[in-house]
Amino acid sequence: MTSDAMPEPDNLAVVGATALANEPSALTEAAGVLKTLMDTVRQQVLGRDDVIELAIIALIADGHILLEDYPGSGKTTLAKALGEAISGGEQVDASIVPFRRIQFTPDLLPSDVTGVPVFDASSNAFHFRHGPLFAHVVLADEINRTSPKVQSAMLEAMGEKQVTVDNVTYPLDQLFFVIATQNPLDLVGTYPLPTPQLDRFLFKIKMDHIDRQAELDVLDSYKERRDMSGRLATVTRDQVLNARKEIEAGVSISPAIKTALVDISRKLREDDRVLQGNSTRSMVLMLPALQVAAALRGRDFVSADDIELLAPRVLGHRVELAPGVADMDKVLRDTMREPMEALARSTLS
Amino acid sequence: MTDRTEQLMPQLLPTSLRALIVASSFWFLSLTLTVASGSWAAVLGCVVACYGVDSWIHRSPFERLRISSILGGALVFALLAIALADLFVNTGLFTLLMSPIAVFNSGESIKWFAIGASITVALRSLAHRTSYGAVVEILFVAAAFVITLAAHRNGMIHRPFFIGDYALTRGIDPASILMVFGCGAVLSLAGLLMAENNHRRLPYHFVVLGMLCFSLLFYVRLFGLPTPQLTDDLGLTGQAQEGQNRQRENPFNDGENNTDNEAPVAVVVFRDDYEPLNGSYYFRESAYSQFNGAMLDITRHDGMDQDLIEHFTNSRSDSAQLPPSEEQLTPVRTTIGMLVPHRTPFGLESPIAYENVPNPNNLRFKRTYDAYSLAPEYDFEHLLGRELGREDWSEEVLQEYLTLPDDARYEELARQLIAGLRPEYVDDPFAKAWAIKTYLDENGIYSLKNEHAYEADPAASFLFGDLTGYCMHFAFAAVHMFRSLGIPSRVGIGYAVPAENRGGGSALLIQAVHGHAWPEIYFRDVGWVIVDPAPQQTLVDMTTDPQNNLQQLLGDMLRNDASFDDFLQSQQTSFINLDAVLNTLYALVLAILVAAYLVKGYRLWIPLRSNRDAQYRLSYRAVLDRLAAIGIHRNFGESREQFAARASGTAPSLRELTNSHLACALGTTSASQSDYDWQAARRTIAREIQSSTPGWKRLAGIINPFSWLFSK
Repeated sequence: MTSDAMPEPDNLAVVGATALANEPSALTEAAGVLKTLMDTVRQQVLGRDDVIELAIIALIADGHILLEDYPGSGKTTLAKALGEAISGGEQVDASIVPFRRIQFTPDLLPSDVTGVPVFDASSNAFHFRHGPLFAHVVLADEINRTSPKVQSAMLEAMGEKQVTVDNVTYPLDQLFFVIATQNPLDLVGTYPLPTPQLDRFLFKIKMDHIDRQAELDVLDSYKERRDMSGRLATVTRDQVLNARKEIEAGVSISPAIKTALVDISRKLREDDRVLQGNSTRSMVLMLPALQVAAALRGRDFVSADDIELLAPRVLGHRVELAPGVADMDKVLRDTMREPMEALARSTLS
Repeated sequence: MTDRTEQLMPQLLPTSLRALIVASSFWFLSLTLTVASGSWAAVLGCVVACYGVDSWIHRSPFERLRISSILGGALVFALLAIALADLFVNTGLFTLLMSPIAVFNSGESIKWFAIGASITVALRSLAHRTSYGAVVEILFVAAAFVITLAAHRNGMIHRPFFIGDYALTRGIDPASILMVFGCGAVLSLAGLLMAENNHRRLPYHFVVLGMLCFSLLFYVRLFGLPTPQLTDDLGLTGQAQEGQNRQRENPFNDGENNTDNEAPVAVVVFRDDYEPLNGSYYFRESAYSQFNGAMLDITRHDGMDQDLIEHFTNSRSDSAQLPPSEEQLTPVRTTIGMLVPHRTPFGLESPIAYENVPNPNNLRFKRTYDAYSLAPEYDFEHLLGRELGREDWSEEVLQEYLTLPDDARYEELARQLIAGLRPEYVDDPFAKAWAIKTYLDENGIYSLKNEHAYEADPAASFLFGDLTGYCMHFAFAAVHMFRSLGIPSRVGIGYAVPAENRGGGSALLIQAVHGHAWPEIYFRDVGWVIVDPAPQQTLVDMTTDPQNNLQQLLGDMLRNDASFDDFLQSQQTSFINLDAVLNTLYALVLAILVAAYLVKGYRLWIPLRSNRDAQYRLSYRAVLDRLAAIGIHRNFGESREQFAARASGTAPSLRELTNSHLACALGTTSASQSDYDWQAARRTIAREIQSSTPGWKRLAGIINPFSWLFSK
């Protein structure tokens, strides 16, 4: 499954330079990595720039995403492209591959996901055979179709970055990134994820159908894109991990931003239409995502725009609405307005 | 259902308040155009339309109608109703069923209900749908009050009566009250419209309000509040023209006018103690002494009537001919305030000098002067045995005082009357005169209605006819008979006021009814003596309400005593001092405007003077101020980047400026180290605004003192 595309460090530097031209620091490099990832994936997945952006933000911010959409909307293509874009560099562990896809079914067992020890007659010992979780990017397709048992194994792996089989713990790669999907309509015979488990996902993204022109482009360039995949620029795993570190250190978060986040949470919890507000953890998880979003836009500080972009995706699936209230977007818009106004005003005082 | 009521409840109060304001404007406007029923119908229509529009504007089918359809519909409705009202009034059937008055009132009601309703529907729909509609609504209300004021600039504010009367009886200018109502209505309406929802309209409202305040301020500062000039006689429309014209008219035509006889003409304040012996205060103004061929008239002979002072002067004017002696005469000084203009001054008999005095209230008094008189204190015995005529009169002058119409009957009657005198008085001039007076007293009938006015000699017609007439007839008849007996005499003209009218005070009110004419005889060493016939039979009730309060009030006013101010204040205690309130208001408005402009200017100027650390903040704020002035400002909850993107059509450089600003405000970039050129960016954006915004909008932005309130 390993892609044989060559790393192109020179190319990277050039791309990165355009993002933060006046910041010749480590952050420039990080921005370059993001840009390369973005460009590479964007060439394979058409008309989904917003989702690609969020996926990359989650990847760098060390989170996972849950996509809600329909079959054939490009989830696999996205996950695969993302995995292949991180294929460069030497492998740390031979068992780790860039990309795996797991199709969840009701009869799946936890060991089908994590891996299983098998007896090797030649060495007279058990060998652990790695499951599909041992990859950089894992596509967990239709995660709500499998039993809670498998779901919890999966979610443990996502939370702890390790799997435990027969009391032996096997660490997953540091770059372990899950893109889970679920079909929002076809609910017969499913096991919907409860809210605490949804909390493991950084973003829940609703995907709409792509627009007409993008759809035409998909049909037109279907063949070329299939052939092209090997020739695109890629980044190495180390580069991605470095970018993660540098963005965390280099992108500043002003106290005003944190105030706004806390105020949004508090207002959300106070709102009559909300049954259960978001957790403090969600705010903590959101910080690195905000940093990545800022870096992706060429800024070295988090701004109101980043909150506008991410807050609905981060908070949407963590908040339970009161019975009879359906419009989550409206609730979020309403509660965000005042803190965002305070944030905007704070810059002039 | 509860949701609905919850939504409606907060609307109910502003809707009611607005309905009240607009309805009262309708009421003011319609007062002069229709009868009471029409006015009330207009108010009703307006209230109904206000509630209707406010509750239906956001519901179908109203919601789907275009504004032009609504306006057209309102117009058609109004026209139909007017046509219907016309039909109703002009069709005989209804007049037969109801009384004509009821039909007329119903017609007016239908018409004005429709007019009120349709105009209100148009105004409210415009205010809901368009940004300028709110301004139109404010202007309509303002116009209603302005028209009420403007229509009565030169007179009383007579409608609505209860306001005018209320104010006038308390000495308050009714215009002030209406101004306060109008300003209050416009301000509350503006407040309501601002509270109404659309924040984008706020700049328009502030511009309009600012302009209204400015124009009001300038108008009041330049011209003062529009003060209605009080009519000549405190609202009792008297014979304002009397003093000016009566000398030219046939004096006998007076009987035909039947204007209000109680109208005050002048007020007299006595500075010296004086009580007349014969029961009346006589004020001489002029005299008919020369026979012009038809009747006695004002003399054109220089030698005659030299004791009269014919014209006002700005200082003191003395009589050219003083009474021959001051025996039995007492000097009396009176101050006279004329409420009606007179050509000739008058004074207590016999005036010897007039002196102009400062007018204490030129709204009330046309002219004020001191009259110095030598008033008679003699009784009749003093006059007995006197000779006639003045020593220095020429023969010609004496003859003029003896000329009478060529009618032998006068002498015949006179001789007949004096035939009965006792032997010792047979040659006494005063006794002869007294006999004639007594004849007239006993036989004459006082009446304002008579048939003599158009006779060639009304006096003859009176004397030899039914002996029915008024003072002119008596005076002329008496003088003619005096002259026929060789007694120099004339007809004195002026006012005679019954002594009891004075009522113990020092002020005396002269009313139009007191205008009088009397015969006068010149006795040597005494002067002109009034021998006034007083008919015992009268057909007219000549008693008048002495109007003691008015007499005292005007007297106090003329004396310029503090008591008049006390009186006014006692009437005003229940009311706040409008002038002080208005002045405070103007000062407040002015102060707010000045402060607003100062802040506005300061915020634009300070970036030039501040150090680098604050530049990111101050320069950015100055740019936001500029944008806010032309109506572009950040919405509530909108982020700075979103606003910059939205405003980039007007000022493309704003994005870059916003990014630099945020990097300083939210990022770690130190403001002092940032090498961004804030001043250049500010200038660039100013240029961009200039090229992309129409001039009037920029001008409005410059004028608007409160534009900076919207930059945030």
